[in-house]
Amino acid sequence: MDRIGIVLVGAGFIADAHSGAIDADPRATLIGIVDADPARAAAFARKQGGIRYAPDLDTALRWPGVDAVILCTPNDTHAPLGLAVATAGKHLLVEKPLATTLADAHRLADAFEAADRVLVAAHTHRFYDYGRAVKQTISSGAIGRPVLVRLAILGGWIWPDWSAWVGDPERSGGHALHNGVHLLDLATWWLGGEPTGVYARGRKQTAAELRIYDYLEMVVSYADGATAVCEMSRAHRPGSLAQRELLVAGTAGIVEQGWDGESSLVFGEAGTTTVPAAGGNGFAAQLGAWLDAIGGAAPAMPVADAVRAVALGVAVEESIATGKPVAVTA
Amino acid sequence: MIRVALVGNAGIGSQDHQNSMYRPAFERHPRFELVDTAEEAEVLSIAVPLAERGTAVADAIRAGKHVLADKPLAATLAEATEIERLAAAHGVVVVPAHHQRFGAALRSAIAAVRAGRVGLPWNVQCDFVVAGGDPAPTGELVNFGLYPVDVLRALLGLEVHRVHATGTPDLVTLLLDHEHGVTSTVVCGRVPALRDVPPGGLAVHRYRISGSHGVLAVDARKPALQVRTTDTFGPVWTGPGTVDVLLDVLAAGIAAGRAALGPHDAVQAQRVIEAAQRSMAVGQPVAIGQPVETGE
Repeated sequence: MDRIGIVLVGAGFIADAHSGAIDADPRATLIGIVDADPARAAAFARKQGGIRYAPDLDTALRWPGVDAVILCTPNDTHAPLGLAVATAGKHLLVEKPLATTLADAHRLADAFEAADRVLVAAHTHRFYDYGRAVKQTISSGAIGRPVLVRLAILGGWIWPDWSAWVGDPERSGGHALHNGVHLLDLATWWLGGEPTGVYARGRKQTAAELRIYDYLEMVVSYADGATAVCEMSRAHRPGSLAQRELLVAGTAGIVEQGWDGESSLVFGEAGTTTVPAAGGNGFAAQLGAWLDAIGGAAPAMPVADAVRAVALGVAVEESIATGKPVAVTA
Repeated sequence: MIRVALVGNAGIGSQDHQNSMYRPAFERHPRFELVDTAEEAEVLSIAVPLAERGTAVADAIRAGKHVLADKPLAATLAEATEIERLAAAHGVVVVPAHHQRFGAALRSAIAAVRAGRVGLPWNVQCDFVVAGGDPAPTGELVNFGLYPVDVLRALLGLEVHRVHATGTPDLVTLLLDHEHGVTSTVVCGRVPALRDVPPGGLAVHRYRISGSHGVLAVDARKPALQVRTTDTFGPVWTGPGTVDVLLDVLAAGIAAGRAALGPHDAVQAQRVIEAAQRSMAVGQPVAIGQPVETGE
């Protein structure tokens, strides 16, 4: 069987996770890398053993053997670059969010449906061990109908400097679109319900001059009465102690994982840090599911869900701005 | 010894906190003795149905008695506010049974936060989830909501000025805006019975206080041993009982003329609960207004 030829677009730090997943899957091969910075593209290509590189997507889409594209560029470029991929008749795995506006998200969804190509947004937490384990537990019926999700992802790294595009709401769409969508999608996937409204609060904790909210509290209401409380934070200190906590309550039981539920702890001279347990490769699982969908399987991350995640992220930003609940329609 | 009479053995729904909590705590406390009639008593432990509680507490105050009141102190903010005014006017101590703030881990946490151990707090997250037991006919917001709201107040020392509430009467989410831009979120309510959690016991009771210089994570079910047997797996509380500490506060308050926990705490908690009820009804955040005007 021919391998699916993939072009990576954007040689930032997340590209390494995607290229590692491609290396690990015998069904795929990395054809080349695109980055607007030619030197960065060349360096990435050399690191990958001398693959092709180019400073623009149009050139790469004409390379022989290219079947699909993984897009790891700033969020505001997802729509124009993604539409170019659809026009070229290639499949696309695009970093989250699918787009920074709901209109662009629908435009992408429509374009790929018309081109009969597979579009998947990289909501990677669906493919992490914990994300899948919670979903499987709920699907097994062990806790009955889920009525509450509490999910917090706190701490970890912070934006490198003031020039980082993720700190520019025009480019990233704001933190709700950039990172918040991970939790909004995951909680909604776990609950299996239809979101009807969002109430959110944001905080610029690290610096008053931030243009995005480094702490987000996002509460989603669902048609069946369920609630999701999602916290996304780059504001918690110390940043060296990343924490993830989850609680799912159902009509017949609860699922919990505390902040230390997946990690060992190092009590060192420099403080306390976590050592997360080794586990599955979420990026590899995500790539595998995308390749499965290209082969005809049902997508594990449907386009409609990616559009819905954008709708939720946009609603979060609106709710923070207005201080009021916002109705959600994808 | 301080003489105590027990008044009533009812509460919300099937509750009988008088006999399950207060009577045994008074019986084992070295500063109190139980007497048979209200006339003999300096303190009345009042656990009558919620609809009658405000009147019963007010009558006790007018009779010059100190009061330990089952929670909530009264059914309405207006009644609670009137009780606060009456207690001050008659010079008696009224302690509402907000005993959860006296959990051993929480007392330490309150002291740590107020001492600046996490810097200036800017957010608190709380889960107060009970498993099994009899559902409260009033809904669990009225039944349990004041506990975490009271703990937040003790932790932060800040009043709430805006409330948004969502969820169901059984499991409600409160989003509170405090003074100085501090926010908090409380998930509060009841889930079905869970193995190894006693009926009506706390399945989850925790607080995460985030501050400018650190985070304090409190599992309010501590201090406890984890005991495993062939048939069971569960915690055994090792700290002093929260109701025992509540009675310490009552005794100290009677001695000093002012207790560390009083009707003002109940009034402030009731403001939040009633605002949450309004928010649930209208689907919007509700600003907490000025104190309710009352007069005798």
